[in-house]
This record gives sequence, structure tokens and C-alpha cells, in this order.
Amino acid sequence: MSRLVVLDNEAVQALRDPAHSKHRRVVSHVQVVASRKRRAEAIGIVVPTAVRVEAGWDRTSPAWVFPNRLRIADSPLDTPSANTAAAIRARTGVSVADAHVGAVMRSAPDAQITVITSDPGDMRQLAGDADVTIVTI
Amino acid sequence: MEASAVIERITALLDEGTHETSNTSMRIPTALRDAAALAVRELGVAPSATALTTAALRATLEAVVMQAVLDEHYRQHGQARPGLGDLAVAAAEIDGHPLAAEPERLRQAAAEISGRHPGASPDEVVLWAEARAFAAA
Repeated sequence: MSRLVVLDNEAVQALRDPAHSKHRRVVSHVQVVASRKRRAEAIGIVVPTAVRVEAGWDRTSPAWVFPNRLRIADSPLDTPSANTAAAIRARTGVSVADAHVGAVMRSAPDAQITVITSDPGDMRQLAGDADVTIVTI
Repeated sequence: MEASAVIERITALLDEGTHETSNTSMRIPTALRDAAALAVRELGVAPSATALTTAALRATLEAVVMQAVLDEHYRQHGQARPGLGDLAVAAAEIDGHPLAAEPERLRQAAAEISGRHPGASPDEVVLWAEARAFAAA
């Protein structure tokens, strides 16, 4: 079974900025993923595109060169994700970015999901019935 | 080429589409070729041996790029380099391991194991800490 590590807004911010108080903590998670990929484990990191918008992560900007190079894939807000996110947002009133994180959590029933977040309460609520590991930074 | 330029170029190539293909005359061990063919035919691990090979090659290159980018980042920002204890905590957190709730126990295990096994992995530290906890129970 594959594992998907999902980054929320603060995890993204912490990853970008070496001076951020949680930078080394998030880098630790990325390092573990890199080491496991090297051992051919099925694992990857994704960022929901709405989180990228909220965080200001422009892949063409030199300010984001470090995260850009880390093979962190976009999880796009496509039609099915937008429908799920809209339903989550209507029910819970969370931000668009958080609703998209929730949609990602619910979109991969065959994968083990880990979310790295500064807001574990919200994430637990957004996960619904999905079996998700929440990591609080 | 400088290492950073190589990383940049490999990253760009990995990001390019997969529509353009090339025939290669790569020599691989016959047994490996036969094992791949068998895995595809009988286990359905990939649509074809070519797809299996391509996926494995992509995953390996992505892991290499990730590690190279992290190593470069550690050279530029020494304080960002996680220690074995940090990595053990991150590994436990990603997996939702119960010891993730006891980071000090993991850090202690990392300190113990790194003295005897300098090349120990974060997952080995978690296993060691789990064994110690089990023995102490």
C-alpha cells in the first residue's frame, strides 16, 4: 500500500523558510520520505493546489526554489475534488484550502494518508471516515 | 556541469511529459528481464515490463534528486539538518506509530543506537525503541 504525505499551509511556509521555527521539523518529514523513496517504498508528498494558493507558493518564483526542487506534487482542485471540497466547506465552514485538504484525504481510499498540519482539530474533522494520520507541527 | 545545474536539469526532464519516447538498447541482466516479464504477466504489477522499468527508474531518479536537494540545503543551512532523533520522531509520526507520542523516548533510543551503529536508519531507531519499551513492560 502506498503512503501519501499531505502538507497544509503552515507546513509549506515552514518548509520554504529556513528561519521558520518549524523548518527543521518539516524538513525531517521530507528527509524520511526521501530516504524511503530511495529504498523503493511507495511514498510521496503532495500539496493541494488551494493550499499552494493560500501559502503564496508560485512554482515560477525563485523564492520557492527549495520546495520546488523537492518533488512535491500538486494535488489539483479538479472537478471531483472541487465537488468534495465544496461539500466539506458548506458543512464545516472551513477555508477553501482546508476544504481541499479534506478532499485530498478522502480521495485516495487505497493509500495511507498522513497530513502535516498546525491545526490537527480541523483536520480530524475534515477527514470524515478516512483513516488518516495527523501530524501536528 | 555543477551539481546544482545537474539537479535543475534532471528536475526539468522529470517534469516533461511522457509522450515523447525513445528506443534504447539498454543491456540488462536476462534474469531481471524475465523476472519483470513474469511480474507483469502473472502479478499485474504494471501494464508492461517497459512501464514497470520506467516507473522504477523515475522513482529512483526522484529519490536521488530529493536527496541531492536536501544535501545542498544542509550545506547552506546547517541548522536545518535533522539529527537521527528528529528523523526517528518524523518516521514514527508519518506512520502513526504509538511511539510518536513519546518523542523523548525516541530521541533517547537514537542516542543509544547511534553510538553503536552510526549508520542506523530512523526506522531502525523506532524499532529499537519499540523493543526497549516491550522489554520494559
